This record gives sequence, C-alpha cells and structure tokens, in this order.
Amino acid sequence: MKYWIAVYRVNLRVAWAMMMQYRFAILIWAVWGFVGPLVSLAVWSAAAHSRGSDVVGASQSFSRGDFAAYFLVYMIFGHITMSWDAFEFAYRVRTGSLSPQLLRPLHPIHADASYNIGFKVITSIIVAPAWVALFVLLKPAIPDSPVGLLMSLPALALAAVTRYVWQYALAAIAFWTTRVDAINQFYFVLDAFLAGRIAPIALMPAWIAAVSRVTPFWYMGAFPVELALGRVPLQSALTGMALQVVWLLIGIAVFRAVWAAGIKQYSAVGA
Amino acid sequence: MSDAGTVSDRELPELSKGGQIALAPSGDAEGEEAQVHIHGLSKVYRVHERPAGLAASFASLFRRRFKEVQAVTDVTFDIHAGEIVGFLGPNGAGKTTTLKMLAGLLNPTSGHATVLGYTPWRRQNEYLRSISLVMGNRNQLNWDIPAMDSFLVNQVIYEIPKAQFRETLDELIELLDLGELLTKPVRGLSLGERMKCELAAALLHRPRVLFLDEPTLGVDVTMQGRIRRFVSDYNRRTGATVLLTSHYMADVTALCRRVVVIHRGKLLYDGGLEALAERILPYKLIRLDLQDGAVGADISRFGDAVEISGLKATLRTPRAETPATVARILADVPVVDLTVEDPPIEDVIDLLFTEPGTDGAAPS
Repeated sequence: MKYWIAVYRVNLRVAWAMMMQYRFAILIWAVWGFVGPLVSLAVWSAAAHSRGSDVVGASQSFSRGDFAAYFLVYMIFGHITMSWDAFEFAYRVRTGSLSPQLLRPLHPIHADASYNIGFKVITSIIVAPAWVALFVLLKPAIPDSPVGLLMSLPALALAAVTRYVWQYALAAIAFWTTRVDAINQFYFVLDAFLAGRIAPIALMPAWIAAVSRVTPFWYMGAFPVELALGRVPLQSALTGMALQVVWLLIGIAVFRAVWAAGIKQYSAVGA
Repeated sequence: MSDAGTVSDRELPELSKGGQIALAPSGDAEGEEAQVHIHGLSKVYRVHERPAGLAASFASLFRRRFKEVQAVTDVTFDIHAGEIVGFLGPNGAGKTTTLKMLAGLLNPTSGHATVLGYTPWRRQNEYLRSISLVMGNRNQLNWDIPAMDSFLVNQVIYEIPKAQFRETLDELIELLDLGELLTKPVRGLSLGERMKCELAAALLHRPRVLFLDEPTLGVDVTMQGRIRRFVSDYNRRTGATVLLTSHYMADVTALCRRVVVIHRGKLLYDGGLEALAERILPYKLIRLDLQDGAVGADISRFGDAVEISGLKATLRTPRAETPATVARILADVPVVDLTVEDPPIEDVIDLLFTEPGTDGAAPS
C-alpha cells in the first residue's frame, strides 16, 4: 500500500508540473468539460419554460429548478468521472511512444490514472468559481435530505473508477487498430445518451432507459447524479451500488483480457 | 568484471574460392552460464499492403492484402555476464526487433530466449527491474519537465532505496557531467545532453543487463566519445552485460571485443571483431612517409598501392606477408615513418553486407 501511495504521489507531482507548462490548454479543457452539461441545461430549461410546466417522463418529472440541479451536479460528477485515455493511448501505440512505459515495472495505467486525477483536481479549482456563480444564478432545486448526497459520494468514486477501467479497455483495442478514435467517438455518443449526459434517463424513451440500465453507462454516469438529488430510493441505491461493483469487476476482467492479448500484438511501426 | 576479452571466437564465416562468405550460426560458449540466451528466435510482422492510388485504397476496404515480413530468422547466440557485445547489421537487419524481444516489448513468432533466467516477453516486474533498454530515437524522459523529476519517478517505481539512489545519482552526475542539466526541462536540452540524461535514467536502478540501441545516434563526436567511455566504465564497475547496436563503428571498436552480425534477419557472424577483419579483409595497410630522396621510387613493387601522393604512400599487403614486406621496404627505401594498420572496420562490415553469399546487394 505504501508503494502505491508513493507511486501515485510522485506521478501526481509530475502531472501537475506538466500541466503548469500548458496553462492555457488546461484552461480550455476545463471550460470544455463544463460546456456540455451547460448546453443540455439551456435546452431543457428552454423546453420546461416553453411548456410552462414540468417536463414529465415515464417515471419522473423535471421542473426548471430540477434541470438546473441535475445538470449542475452532472457538471461536477461528469467532470470527476471523465476519461479520455483511448485517444491518448492510440497515439502512443501508433508512434511507439508507449514503449518506454512498457519497459518500466509499472503498468502504464497507473501513471495515466495519476494524470487523470491531477487534471481533475486542477481543473475543478479553475471552474469552481464559475460553478458557484451558476448555482446562485440558476437557483437549482435542492433536495430536502442530504442522505442521497452522502450516498452519492462512494457511488461517484465507483463510477469514476469503473469508467476509467472501461475506457482503458477500449484504449487497448489500439493494439489491433491504431485508429481506435472512431470506436471511441462511437462510445462517447452512446455515453451521451445512455449515461444521461444529454438528458435525464427518466425523460428518455423507455427502451433507451432499459438499455441504459443493462449496460454500465447508467452506473458510470447518471446514477450517482440521481442519487445525489434524492431521485433514487434507498433500496435501489444499494442495488445500484452493488451493480456498480459488478460492472467494475467485469470491466477489470475485460481490461485484463484485452490487455494480455493486445500486448502480444504490439508491434507498432515505431515500437 | 568483464570477461569480454576471454570470449573465444565462434564459428567464423570462411571466404570460399569465389569470395563468398560461408554462413554458419554461432555455437554456445562452453563452460559458462549465459546471462542472455537466445535460441532459434524468429519474428514475423504481418504488414498490410496496397498499391498507391485511390482505387487501390477503396479496394483495400473490401479485400485486405497482408504481407509477412520476416524480421528475424532463427537467431541463436549467448552472452555471458559482463560481456559487451556489438550487435551489427544494416538498416532493417533485425537488430532492433531482436533487442525489443529481449527487452520484453515484442513477442517472438517462434524460438525462445531467457535473460537472467527470465523469459523477457512475460514482462515480470522483477525482470523489468533488472534490465534497461536505451533507444537513441526514443525518449523515456518526460519532455515537459526537468530530468530530475523523471529520475524521482524512477526512484519510486523501481523502489530504489534513498541512499542507493543518491549514491548512484551522484556517480552519474559526475561521470556524465549532468550538473545543471537536471533542472532544465528536457525539451530545452540538446540531443547529446538529452541522451546523457536518458542514459542516467536508464541506469539509476543499476540494471544487470543493458540493451543499447544506437545510443550515440545524432550526437556530436565529443559526446559520442563521452558516452562510449561512460558505457565502458559502467560495464567495468558494475559487471553489467551490454548488448549494443550502433551504426558508428567507432562505438563498436571502442567497446566490443565480440560482435554478432545480423543481416536480413539472419545471423552472419558471431565472434571477435579482429578475427572478423582478418577473415573478411585478409590484408594490412602499410602507411609510409618517405624521405625527400625517395621521390620517384617504385613503391608499388612492395604491394598494391592504395594511394601514392608526393612523399606519402599507402600499400595493401596480405597479412601473412606484411612483416617481410615491411623489412624489405625499410631495407630498400628511405622512410621517415612507417605504420602498419588493419583495414578500417567500416570496410570490413561494408564488404560483409555486400558479399553475394550474404544475400545482400552484389558488390560493384
């Protein structure tokens, strides 16, 4: 354990040192992560406003304040669970710059995860004032009880790790096809719908909601958000977290299998 | 301790009457346990290919054509503890592919290898802690931060005790004159400075086996010399085993008593560097500085005149006849200076790769 703490601490330090070299780029990325939920919020707020009443789905309804709360929480949770490793990894396989990482007695996922964490800490600090301003401006509907919010924290951690592992499994496809970007783009579109980034799952057609719940997407995205807002009953919350663990374990198994097979394929042009 | 000097020559290629080189794979050195053991190692790459043009591009969407490229074929050799072995071959010979297999980056298509008792491509952490691969065209150092930050990462990853890290680092700083380089972002360093930092990063954990792939690529002559001295010193002080590829023959002649030559994926030669020269180019060069009175003397009667210019002349004579020829020159011609040299190793290697028997291009 001491080893892993030291590994993550030293890699985090490096990640921050690197980010300080590219301050403007980090600012742009921070804002980019913010804009997606903001656009969805604007669209749904307009829809609620034009109707003059709540937007009603199959099982839940959303007022303007509810939308504000949903997307403001999604801004933070989506940011924390965000992962972009497939793009980066494919580049490394293609150019052979993965090789030095493979020579070290440490799986590359750890250095990348450290960078991911470091990035999120820095960018969260950058966007925090804007988020507070939006919170004051948009007057979100705040749930009566803080229980859901507290329960959402472990769910959020599980969502972040699960998404990271699945994203890295996807990244490892680059061992076979160096143009994994197209597959990753497809994954992001699926994620937008099935993880509730574009709209709350409750407002989606029933079949999309059903697909969302039998895939890892809901558990990696909307589930902790809905939990924080008190929209998931206690029993379902516990079941949801158990299923998060299941999806995490499946993700780890898939990742290990893809990696083990992929590393044998590794023969990049510049490897 | 290096036992490079004790390595007996392996089976050497022999020049047949037609001047072709009879190829023979090497045998294992007897009586010692090899630290690097390679047997029948082969690697085939499967490469997608298509003719140029848009039509071919569309056609390849539906029917992909793949070509198998035999990068390494049935390579067998051993390296013993403390040896520095030069791994020679022209571009595309299979040197880097072999090194990558030995470093665990690539899986072979067939054959087996062990390094320090480990199968490299199983990539066990214990193995990776015991080796280093330095590639002249590839960076392990993080480009955006000072090298010292990358060193500290290595200290943690390789679990190097603090005292040992400090001691090794101090040694490396002194030997490679790293001083001020460690606090500058790597991208701001010159190529030579960067290579020194790369070497330091690769050696912090004191690897027992070092694979060096073109470590002096692109660096100036002074820096090349410095890197060579450093590698030699590291080998002497730590007893590390080194397998080195380089296109600069000066690297090889300065560091390696033994060379393994590979061409088109196949092993051509494994043995002493000097023996290789003797077999491939069995002559010596006699360089003469003549006295004023010797102008016009018929120097070419002593051997093949490579160059005669004023009071300077270079002759080529068969090795066996060289002592007698030198004696005759000294007796018959007034000379200021006379030196006997081996032919440049570049010529030896060039001839080796262009001999028809080596499956290379025909000599002109």
